[in-house]
Amino acid sequence: MIAKKSTLSNEDITIVPTGCCHDCGGRCVLKAHVKDGKILRLETDNGEQPQIRACLRGRAYRQRLYSQDRLKYPLRRVGERGEGKFERVSWDEALDEVASKMTKIKEAYGNSTIFLAAGSGNQGMLHGAPPVGAMLLAFGGFTRIWGVASYEAPLFASMATYGTIKTGNSREDLLNSRLVIIWGWNPANTIWDPETSFTLAKVREKGIKIVVLDSRYTDTAAAFAHQWIPIRPGTDAAMLIAMAYVIITEDMVDRAFIEKYTVGFEKYRDYILGHEDGEPKTPKWAEEITTVPAETIINLAREYALSKPAALIAGWGPARAARGEQYSRAANVLTAITGNIGIDGGYASGFMRAYSSRETASGTHGSGNPVEKGAPPRKNSLYKLRGGTNPNSARIHSAKVYDAILRGRAGGYPTDLKMAYVVASNHLNQHPNARRGVEAFKALEFVVVHEQFMTPTAKFGDIVLPVNTFMERNDIAPPWLGSPYYIYLNKAVDSLFESKSDLDIVRALSKKLGLPPGLGAMKEDDILRIIAGRRDDISDYEQMKRDGVVKIKLPEPVVSFKEQVENPDSNPFPTLSGKIEIHCEHLAEMDNPLLPPIPKYLTHSESYDSPLAAKYPLQLLTTHYKTRAHSTWHNVPWLQEIEPHSVWINPVDAEKRGIENGVRVYVFNDRGKIRIPAKVTERIMPGVVNVSQGAWYDPDEQGVDIGGCANVLTDDAHSPSGTHHMNSALVQVEPAEEVAP
Amino acid sequence: MTQMGFYFDQTRCTGCYTCAVACKDWHDLDAGTVNWMRVNAIEKGRFPDLFVAYLALPCCHCTNPPCAAVCPVEAISKRASDGIVVVDRDKCPGNMDCRSACFKACPWDVPQFDPGKNVKMQKCDLCLERLKKGRQTICVEACPMYALDVGPLSELRAKYGDCVEAEGFRYSERFKPSVIFKLKKE
Repeated sequence: MIAKKSTLSNEDITIVPTGCCHDCGGRCVLKAHVKDGKILRLETDNGEQPQIRACLRGRAYRQRLYSQDRLKYPLRRVGERGEGKFERVSWDEALDEVASKMTKIKEAYGNSTIFLAAGSGNQGMLHGAPPVGAMLLAFGGFTRIWGVASYEAPLFASMATYGTIKTGNSREDLLNSRLVIIWGWNPANTIWDPETSFTLAKVREKGIKIVVLDSRYTDTAAAFAHQWIPIRPGTDAAMLIAMAYVIITEDMVDRAFIEKYTVGFEKYRDYILGHEDGEPKTPKWAEEITTVPAETIINLAREYALSKPAALIAGWGPARAARGEQYSRAANVLTAITGNIGIDGGYASGFMRAYSSRETASGTHGSGNPVEKGAPPRKNSLYKLRGGTNPNSARIHSAKVYDAILRGRAGGYPTDLKMAYVVASNHLNQHPNARRGVEAFKALEFVVVHEQFMTPTAKFGDIVLPVNTFMERNDIAPPWLGSPYYIYLNKAVDSLFESKSDLDIVRALSKKLGLPPGLGAMKEDDILRIIAGRRDDISDYEQMKRDGVVKIKLPEPVVSFKEQVENPDSNPFPTLSGKIEIHCEHLAEMDNPLLPPIPKYLTHSESYDSPLAAKYPLQLLTTHYKTRAHSTWHNVPWLQEIEPHSVWINPVDAEKRGIENGVRVYVFNDRGKIRIPAKVTERIMPGVVNVSQGAWYDPDEQGVDIGGCANVLTDDAHSPSGTHHMNSALVQVEPAEEVAP
Repeated sequence: MTQMGFYFDQTRCTGCYTCAVACKDWHDLDAGTVNWMRVNAIEKGRFPDLFVAYLALPCCHCTNPPCAAVCPVEAISKRASDGIVVVDRDKCPGNMDCRSACFKACPWDVPQFDPGKNVKMQKCDLCLERLKKGRQTICVEACPMYALDVGPLSELRAKYGDCVEAEGFRYSERFKPSVIFKLKKE
């Protein structure tokens, strides 16, 4: 254990540098004060600047670690699946059963029927899903998902437009901007790399104007915005396109940039001016769709085009919606036609992983997975490009896993799934249409779950294996998206109860499966040394371990596409044309009206103006919550008391329905019904309600979810890029009958 | 005598509550009981013209602490060396005896009690033990926005000015709370 004696106390306390590494949008430093094998309290980074200070979630870690609800022993289901009845079994019994079921399923149906439900609950480089994936590969392969619920549209649009996900600039470069437009992005709650909010404060203090577009008056808007523009969900592309109309018709485009670095501007201009469909995309046209006054659209367009360099940060939230790829593409194209790319203070929007040695988020081209071998590229994939999402057609879209389980090959899926191996994932809670998920999980032959708590997903396990936390094992945390640092999570205390690390579980199970030990034969520290050695920006492993953090000094801010813009002849953009693709030929070849080669405003079956809106007139947002990282931290009392889970509703909509602040209401549509308290607030626009995702699904006897899981209401659908429709459900809200005392 | 004070830059606060959680962890306070550091949201206006601010407030360690003045057993005292207002929980008889006199006297609801019968008062002691070791308070070191500071009031004034106004806070000339703010204006 790496530790030093505390100077804060005369007691025999040692301080262990470790960290917190869930999927909140940060990876942060924690210093555990340990006495007699127990963590008494935590501090955060108080070393050299920039400090990587943990947020409220990390500071509450002791209440995860020492929760009474920690899973203590391996469990075997005794009731119906999902009923939550288990008996304690030994590790040996539990793993024997897992090994025997896995072997039977492999022999009877083949490896493709094994589904790896690998979530983002653990973001360390060693533990969590990676060792399980490696074991399943050695076992002969498995089926995995494509389509990450967080970001598939920005990823796709980034690849289609720029040919890479390494876009945006490192955070401190925002201080070089003359205008910062924050679109559907709420780092005050979602962190988005730990230095982001503080940088935005410095931007504001420097006098740089900040404009926030969001359907809610978020904490980000409240803290940083000089101007807040509320916009109707699902219509962001229309406003961006109308901004392009203003910039084009008022001749504010950067012609030289367009000519030198882009392809297809004329085709976009034709669409904008209405030459293609007879509908000029004027600010007035957009006003009717977005509710944003035409004058506001005109002014913002002028400001953006004339305040060069300006940063347009197109967040992932509005893209997590039906046709979200059109929003992301429209934003990317706007940054191009104004020439705000490759320059200090500008910002090529896109995926926004400016600093990173990683070029992809969910696997690269080619895979060692025998199940995927030889499968052709998936339809509607950008398979000709390197990077981005793996286009292998043997993968199942994550919103369609339930449908695939229930319908299988007969339903057009590549396999008939028979078992789920769940690790670091509250899958049922965090994927759309939770009630269909319940049906699907019940239909499987076998479910094994690695977990720390009895989550809604763990309840559906046949065998549930207790996993330890960051504080009980060693790991390395890379930055969340792309800040220049790594955190070494030193083990601070021994594993509680009978819990084990994911790696140790895999080691024991591999033996029972008769698999070669592979990495499993090595010491944890030696594996971490190898992992660190693969990163060219970690120079001193021992020092990183000792300090608990390595901060990489950038000589200057990272500005994506600087090389391409400064020296285009020797640095083409990594697209097929070598230029920024306003019109993307790869998309044109797909010949899919829902994936046009230029960005367009497209509607869908749950748009605000769809026929379904007559029955369900409110648009539902399922944003990230201040006190959770997805569904992690939901059960932590220190966080629960801060801002209790609720549905946000505007007073106009509340009054119509006889709803008062704090009373319980039903939020429902054809997919399901939840019951939660209402937060009646001016901070959300009329016609829109918000149920933050991550609260745990907890159905009562009537099937009403009294836990308030947003995914009871979301649709298990995806747009062609793979983006989920998380912010595209229509709902109704009604006061809930009072429950008898 | 040095008077220690508390600085809060309200314009920077995003309402993240990290200070409050770090405080509960450091001082080992359960959920649902007391908060030595409180964060309150202030929401004003009508859609779409809104104003939202947060106020983070520990104990104000007043020059003339009203809590100490009303305590029947002198369990609350102001330290001569640094002006920090502390409670001697061994002396505090519990809130049934005095009917929460200190709580009632404080305009900012700082003195707090666990739920339960005849419980003793507790509140922020400005991380006295940390200050003694030359360290900063846990909330100051926690804030991801660097919006908090603790130090001698004279030094805070020299650094940040002498504004004692904040959204959601009413200054008292009588008690002279040891606070400095950067006010978030509507």
